Amino acid sequence: MDSRIIEELITSFPKLLSVGIKVTIPLTLISFTIGIGIALMTAMVQTAKLPVLKQIARFYVWIIRGTPMIVQLFVVYFGLPSIGITLAAFPSAVIVFSLSVGAYCSETIRAAIESVPAGQLEAGYCVGMNYWQTMVRIILPQAFRTAFPPLSNSLIGLVKDTSLAYSVAIVEILATAQRIAARSYDYFWLYCEAGLIYLIFCTILTFVQSRMEKRMERKR
Amino acid sequence: MLELKNVKKSFGKTKVLEDINITVNEGDVIAILGPSGSGKTTLLRCIEFLERADAGVMLLDGMEYSLKKASKREVHELRKKLGFVFQSYNLFANKTALENVTEGLIVAGKMKKEEAVSIGRAALEKVGMLDRSTFYPSQLSGGQQQRVAIARAIALDPKVILFDEPTSALDPELTGEVLSVMKKLADEGTTMIVVTHEMGFAKNVADRVIFMEDGVVVEEGNAKDFFEHPKEKRTIQFLRNSAERI
Repeated sequence: MDSRIIEELITSFPKLLSVGIKVTIPLTLISFTIGIGIALMTAMVQTAKLPVLKQIARFYVWIIRGTPMIVQLFVVYFGLPSIGITLAAFPSAVIVFSLSVGAYCSETIRAAIESVPAGQLEAGYCVGMNYWQTMVRIILPQAFRTAFPPLSNSLIGLVKDTSLAYSVAIVEILATAQRIAARSYDYFWLYCEAGLIYLIFCTILTFVQSRMEKRMERKR
Repeated sequence: MLELKNVKKSFGKTKVLEDINITVNEGDVIAILGPSGSGKTTLLRCIEFLERADAGVMLLDGMEYSLKKASKREVHELRKKLGFVFQSYNLFANKTALENVTEGLIVAGKMKKEEAVSIGRAALEKVGMLDRSTFYPSQLSGGQQQRVAIARAIALDPKVILFDEPTSALDPELTGEVLSVMKKLADEGTTMIVVTHEMGFAKNVADRVIFMEDGVVVEEGNAKDFFEHPKEKRTIQFLRNSAERI
């Protein structure tokens, strides 16, 4: 590795980092927030055993989990225009990532809700609360503790999955690395550097996760 | 005050309750005894509508409820008149002792927080748990948790409190503190139905004893007669076996 490559990596680092902050992080956070909302609703209609909605929820999870995310991206971004629905790249990616987070995390949340002992719901009934009051005030806060580590896992997974947005022409970290390397042919080093940016983001998230877990533990 | 008529319940093909009839007067302390699997707990859960009976009627406080068909609204109304204490305490794990007591008052009773807190503190005081009001259930012993659970039940000012084997999950050293709280409530005239294996409590605190087996009431009578002059063969046998254990 000569000094030219080192210099190139140093000058490209802020570029990759800034694309990460401007594209990857917003894409992750927006998709994850919407996705968790979808996941919560999907999990709740299943645990509450709401007819019809429950079946729709199962169908949705089945479709999303059973097909590759890159295929879903192609369907939304390249496929929908042919039936008259044209979406820009960023919204397309947000839709696909949110639906994916929604499907996977709904199973996490559903399992966490089911892990709360049935006696908690019964105790809620016995003090005069109804199902939803007990759900919101007693069951979900307890389920959240259980769901937190696997949900953090999903968030970290999503940070890396956003690199798939490359395939629908979103200029994110990987695409930027490729553009820079196309000029100098230092593909090896630039792709490694792109990986490093993801590694930095994920390390920060892991650190935040363990801090928050400790804080929740103390409150108990 | 509370009357049960013709209560029936099966789980699949197993008959758990066969035509149960019970009358509870105001201020009564009723102990329900019987071997495991006799349907005692199921009966209590049917009264609280944690299980739906297959048939039967309940009269409570001048109102009549179908144990099978009561509407959601009726069940909700009825539960406000009942208190329930579980074998496994079932305190809300994410709430402190005081919050456990005030939660129902604030959320279901639409009570102002200050008012609920003062009722909650009085209830905790009564069970001797006021000094632990900020503790979470995981920081309390079993006996302490059960006393908080009793405070939670009495804070709602119910007509009747149902106890489902309140000391069965406790080690012998801790049962005393729970039983003495229950005796205190009984002395104050609280109407209570207690499913229990504590013969001493049934004998000394209960007004009446109901002995159940295989889903039927085998014998029923005032506590003194029940223990001193049991009529049924099965009751005599049960009392003898229970005495041997002591």
